[in-house]
Amino acid sequence: MSNSSNPLHPLQSEGRDPISRRSFLKGTGAVAAGGVLAGGVAEGRGAGERDARAQEVAVLRGALEIELDVNGRKTKVRVEPRTTLLSTLRSRLVPPLTGSKEVCDQGNCGACTVIVDGRPAYSCMQLAVDMVGREIRTVEGLGAPDALSPVQEAFCAHDALMCGFCTPGFVVATTACLERNPHADLGEIQRGIAGNVCRCGTYPHIFDAALAARDAMAGAAKGGK
Amino acid sequence: MASTPSARAETRWKPRAEQTVLNADIRRLDGPLKVTGAARYSHDVRVPNMVYARLLLCPYPRAKIAKIDVEPARAVPGVVYAEPLKDVASGEGVLYQGDDSVLAVVAAETPEAAEDGLRAIVVEAEELLPPVVTVEQALEPDSPPVGPGGRGGGGPRRESEPATSGDETAARAALEACDVVVDATYRLPVQHHACLETHGMVVEYRGGEEATVYASTQAVSGLAGEAAQALGLARERVRVVTQHMGGGFGSKFSLGLEGGVACRAARDLGRPVHLMLTRKDEFLMAGNRSGSIQHMVGGASADGAFKALVTDCIREGGQGGGALPSHPYIYSVESAFHMARSVYTALDSSRAMRAPGHPQASFAIESMVDELAYAIGMDPLEFRMRNLEDEVYHRQLGRVADEIGWGAHPHKTAPGKPDAEGHAVGIGFGVSVWGGQGRPPSSCGVRIQPDGSISASICTQDLGTGVRTLVAAIVAEELGLRPTDVTPRIGDSDLPPSAGSGGSVTTGSVAPPVKEAAHAAREALEAKVAVALNCDPAGLRWKDRQVFVEGEPSRALTWEQACATLGEPLSVRGEWRAELTGRGVHGAQAARVRVDALTGAIHVEKMVCVQDSGLVFNRLAYRSQVNGGMIQALSYGLLEQRVFDPDLGLMLTANLEDYKIAGALEIGEIVAIPDDDDPRQEAIGMAEAPVIPGHGAIANAVFNACGVRIRELPLTPDKVLMGLAERS
Repeated sequence: MSNSSNPLHPLQSEGRDPISRRSFLKGTGAVAAGGVLAGGVAEGRGAGERDARAQEVAVLRGALEIELDVNGRKTKVRVEPRTTLLSTLRSRLVPPLTGSKEVCDQGNCGACTVIVDGRPAYSCMQLAVDMVGREIRTVEGLGAPDALSPVQEAFCAHDALMCGFCTPGFVVATTACLERNPHADLGEIQRGIAGNVCRCGTYPHIFDAALAARDAMAGAAKGGK
Repeated sequence: MASTPSARAETRWKPRAEQTVLNADIRRLDGPLKVTGAARYSHDVRVPNMVYARLLLCPYPRAKIAKIDVEPARAVPGVVYAEPLKDVASGEGVLYQGDDSVLAVVAAETPEAAEDGLRAIVVEAEELLPPVVTVEQALEPDSPPVGPGGRGGGGPRRESEPATSGDETAARAALEACDVVVDATYRLPVQHHACLETHGMVVEYRGGEEATVYASTQAVSGLAGEAAQALGLARERVRVVTQHMGGGFGSKFSLGLEGGVACRAARDLGRPVHLMLTRKDEFLMAGNRSGSIQHMVGGASADGAFKALVTDCIREGGQGGGALPSHPYIYSVESAFHMARSVYTALDSSRAMRAPGHPQASFAIESMVDELAYAIGMDPLEFRMRNLEDEVYHRQLGRVADEIGWGAHPHKTAPGKPDAEGHAVGIGFGVSVWGGQGRPPSSCGVRIQPDGSISASICTQDLGTGVRTLVAAIVAEELGLRPTDVTPRIGDSDLPPSAGSGGSVTTGSVAPPVKEAAHAAREALEAKVAVALNCDPAGLRWKDRQVFVEGEPSRALTWEQACATLGEPLSVRGEWRAELTGRGVHGAQAARVRVDALTGAIHVEKMVCVQDSGLVFNRLAYRSQVNGGMIQALSYGLLEQRVFDPDLGLMLTANLEDYKIAGALEIGEIVAIPDDDDPRQEAIGMAEAPVIPGHGAIANAVFNACGVRIRELPLTPDKVLMGLAERS
């Protein structure tokens, strides 16, 4: 168990040559490490775009200040290259955004799902430094207790939650699914939220809520025209 | 103004037909907080000057430790605290995997720095000892005993003394006289609670004499004393707060080693400490549902009487005893003998998990019942009816059979075969039982202000069951209000105490004192309102946020006007009363599966549950609970299994990728039906019951579909394919 001879030992911080697994990946140009998408199979970026981005990669070291666009608000925050978006939201932003939950911290459960440039993503699998210039929406940005979004309202009406710890992730995943596919049927909704898990067993009511939200959003869109 | 309940008419629940708030779909009051991320869980607590703590766990179950050097961790930028938690100098090693694996703690300004600190600690093991992580290893003659008692006590034990019930000689003689005998061994794996919020807490202590502990716990009232002791503070100076918690399922009753360490670090630092287990640590040290190996010999007569049963069971609870109720469990057997013992492994102790022991016992007995029924060529539903004494089960089984389509099912007394596409459809059944009575001490305070605001305070906790909403709804029913008119205050050890939430006791513990307090508040209000309306208080009725004289709706006050008659705040208390609660619930479940004979995959098309519980307070939350029970059983039946490498002693499933729980694509149609034929006017908890029979029903449905009897969970495709191969 001794790790004193580990050449990648990430002891250093604050400008002293920090290397961690994530920053190592980052430093070697493995940009796609941050590209795992929630809710199904990741669609890779185009090869050309990937190459272009790889050439832009600079090796980042130490703590650095970045600006993130979270829920329409530009926020400066100090992170390390290895800091995940989830950790940034929950522990570094002031005030912190703790709606996105840390459950597995390795892309297994969906509790930390956010929407990045319109697509659902596990925020535990995104590096904060990779999120610069992107539009990030968290559960807090979708609505407020006294101004619920249609999905949030439907979750309440259909009791699509119990302990509630997975709920923000399901609300975000459902929102992303319906924004991308406003006519999603039950099967498409189930696939859209298949990257999220709930231990209390609220799935049947989540299905009910998602279908009701879809209909409410369609009705609102029609009424608006 | 304080008034205490005095001599008055005894309170009782309104008949269902007269209820205007209860027995309906009531929206969860904390729903808006939970769907927007505004609900703050222990994990989410951020207080000034807080540090994040992490534990270093030994990955091997048993080891002699030569060195734990935390100095390198102390040198890591951001780390403010690093302490060994083993006294290596006096030879303290690791005896088992679980809380005994914790070697050191680190606290730092950020979670990442705390992890850096953990990686910096240098640990040297003098020797890694033989793992002893499976029952088979534990029973090998040359294997060292690793059971409890290893540190102090009478020395480690290999197994417990067997406990028996019934007459073995008579049961064996009865087996001889049976027309059919089935000899089978049923095996269940260790299951994890897998609470999405891991165990842990934030201990807000800044020196001095007071502390607040934000704990993810099922027992807020009980935890305050434990935390006070760990902090070395007076009980009245320590407050435990749990407004929301992300699942417990029986695993979160005590402070735990992690809580003790968090308290110690906070005390040493004089700073608030955030210590929530990582997902991996949660799997390694936060408890589990015990596994079991149940050997059964059962016999029946040709006409369908369950005549004899001899069982010999092993409970696999790691360092714990495990749980298993005696067989024949719910069924009536003329002559039965039951024997069970615990076999200890060097692993984390089992803890209570939703209906402790019952899902294990249910799987074995429901499988045996099914095997006997098919062995005599009898409809397994009819065989169950024949051997279940309680008429409630007959009614409930009939209902689920109708819902699942048993009447029209083509093969009831013998299994089916795959169709041309390779699909085989089958149906199976199971039943459940639970107690569900509440208990004292449990009391509630109701306060009404002259401006009409009203609160109900009781130190219970909402694990996701909806008890917060229940508190408000009971008060609203009593006073003709809406649940949203009432502010429920729960989850704070400074409030009037109530029971920990385990064993489905919460509804039975909370509902009576809330009802009593609301009733007392109503009587106190009526005394004032009667003066204002110049009427007899006995003639007052409360409805739609108004109080009026019965038969004269124009002689009325609005809720606010009525409260204004108080002049000063009204504060009343209600205490638990046994007469408002009851005991004993029943449930029946059916599952319909489609087995793919080519891949071995089992798809659960539909599950149905009929569940009783006396009164149904919130039909929406009720269905959520019953759905959740069925889905957890489905997940247990099809997917969940803790796996160890027996040679290295390493857990191979310590994450949510390798330890799979059911997701949106694994469940089929789930139908929860409250049993409205239950006449009891009592508050009874029922949430354990729906988790008990589902996996057994699924296994029975697999047999009915294709003739493959799987006696070991989980019901994975390889077992289906092996079974099909053996049949053909």
